Amino acid sequence: MTDLTLLGIADAGRLLARGEITSIALTESFLKRIEAVDSKISSYITVTADLARNAAHQADREIKGGARRGPMHGIPVALKDIYETAGVKTTGHSHFKKDYVPAIDAETVRRLKDAGAVILGKLGTHEFANGAMTPDQPFPAVRNPWNVKYQPGGSSSGSGAAVAAQLCMGAMGSDTGGSIRNPAGFCGTAGIKPTYGLLSRCGIFPLSFSLDTAGPLAWTTEDCALMLDVLAGHDPNDQGSARTTKVDYGAAAQRPIKGLRIALARNWYEDKDAVTLEMKKGVDEAVRVLKDLGATVDDVVFPDVWDYHICGRVIITIEAHAIHRQEVIETPEKFGYTTRRRFQLGAFLTAEQYISALRFRRQLTLDTRAAMRGYDLVMCANHWGAPETFEEPQPIFHFLGKPSLTMPFNVTGQPAATVCCGFSSDGYPLSFQLAGRAFDEASVVAAGAAYERATPWRAHRPKL
Amino acid sequence: MSSPKAPTLEEFRTRAALSGLTLTPEDVEHLHKGYVGLLAMMQRIPTHWAWAAEPPQVFRADK
Repeated sequence: MTDLTLLGIADAGRLLARGEITSIALTESFLKRIEAVDSKISSYITVTADLARNAAHQADREIKGGARRGPMHGIPVALKDIYETAGVKTTGHSHFKKDYVPAIDAETVRRLKDAGAVILGKLGTHEFANGAMTPDQPFPAVRNPWNVKYQPGGSSSGSGAAVAAQLCMGAMGSDTGGSIRNPAGFCGTAGIKPTYGLLSRCGIFPLSFSLDTAGPLAWTTEDCALMLDVLAGHDPNDQGSARTTKVDYGAAAQRPIKGLRIALARNWYEDKDAVTLEMKKGVDEAVRVLKDLGATVDDVVFPDVWDYHICGRVIITIEAHAIHRQEVIETPEKFGYTTRRRFQLGAFLTAEQYISALRFRRQLTLDTRAAMRGYDLVMCANHWGAPETFEEPQPIFHFLGKPSLTMPFNVTGQPAATVCCGFSSDGYPLSFQLAGRAFDEASVVAAGAAYERATPWRAHRPKL
Repeated sequence: MSSPKAPTLEEFRTRAALSGLTLTPEDVEHLHKGYVGLLAMMQRIPTHWAWAAEPPQVFRADK
């Protein structure tokens, strides 16, 4: 048998269903690898080995007894440490919560457990998912498995690093301005920020109520789709939760994409000097592959990416301040250096500025919809190029530099996936985004999975 | 936006003193830089809106 940690969720699910492998064998393989290599990248804050073994044994008993629950049954996954887990520490990578043990699971965690998934543990993040890693936090910073000198992207940094390093088969992240798609891009995994409202946020530490989105990262888009199948659904305890029709995302991942119409938002990244030549070439080559698969891809001009960037940034700054205001006033020293300042900044913005940003959001959403008329998907680069190193001084207000290429789809609420499209000459992953209309994750998944099947990139893994 | 003029560090200190936050002098300097930078970018946000341009989170009495 090959190394079980190299299997994807879809393949492992089929082998489990046929009785060719067991969940406990899978789980032990991952626990052994975590023990052997995680000290190099610090992706886990807490490993729940005993709970995982119990869940794996139960899965094996049920599958053997003919009670297989579905493709996630017996599959080892892990959670960004802002997902509340009953009886297991949920730290938010922060001094504030370093000993916090919730009584109940987040709704998404409950759904994963109901589907029979095996939870391996809790993964490192940026403090309260704020988007910056600083050294003055209670757990080590997560490192990029492609090169440990480099940042893995964030804030779902542990989720991206652990999936890429074969330390879990899938992981939950959250995305407010790009926090699933950045680590997915920098770590070379797949990741999906679903439509705002598709997945419950109940039991997940908030950063910005009107932008926060929960979602999966896995090695392939198809695997993310299988996770979405068990995660999506209305939750009356989440005010942002939508009532939607049940969709089979796993089936959508097998759909041909002939005739799919894709709008390439080239003006978002090619008009700026910041994007690397290799990233541009990677996206151009991905366009060629998608055309060969039968899709049409046209350049379409969208609103300036800076507009989405500043709109989302004002909303995040104000909402994050409102959420953390009490702690920022009473015990500011307990926050990390950068987190504290980011959460303080919202105190200086006015109600009028917030309302203007919300109105701007509505305008941008309508303008994006108009630009997409006649198209099923939007495509663009996922990020600008190489990850930052740990040695580089980290700016406190990173958003004053380059605009975020991921923010447009947080502002509009559309579903967006990150798809790896090769590697730079330095060995770092390149990737592009595919975004669909609201609640059309199926088209996103179909195009991402078709591209991955047609290209060799999923065969490359980092060496640790 | 309605406040296009960036405050000087001195003006910002006065405002920071009224913010209710516990701030070190270093905090204030960093926050001033961040605020001025954000304000400059916020020039992109229109100042005048049609009456119909409601924000997306509209209160609904039936929810």
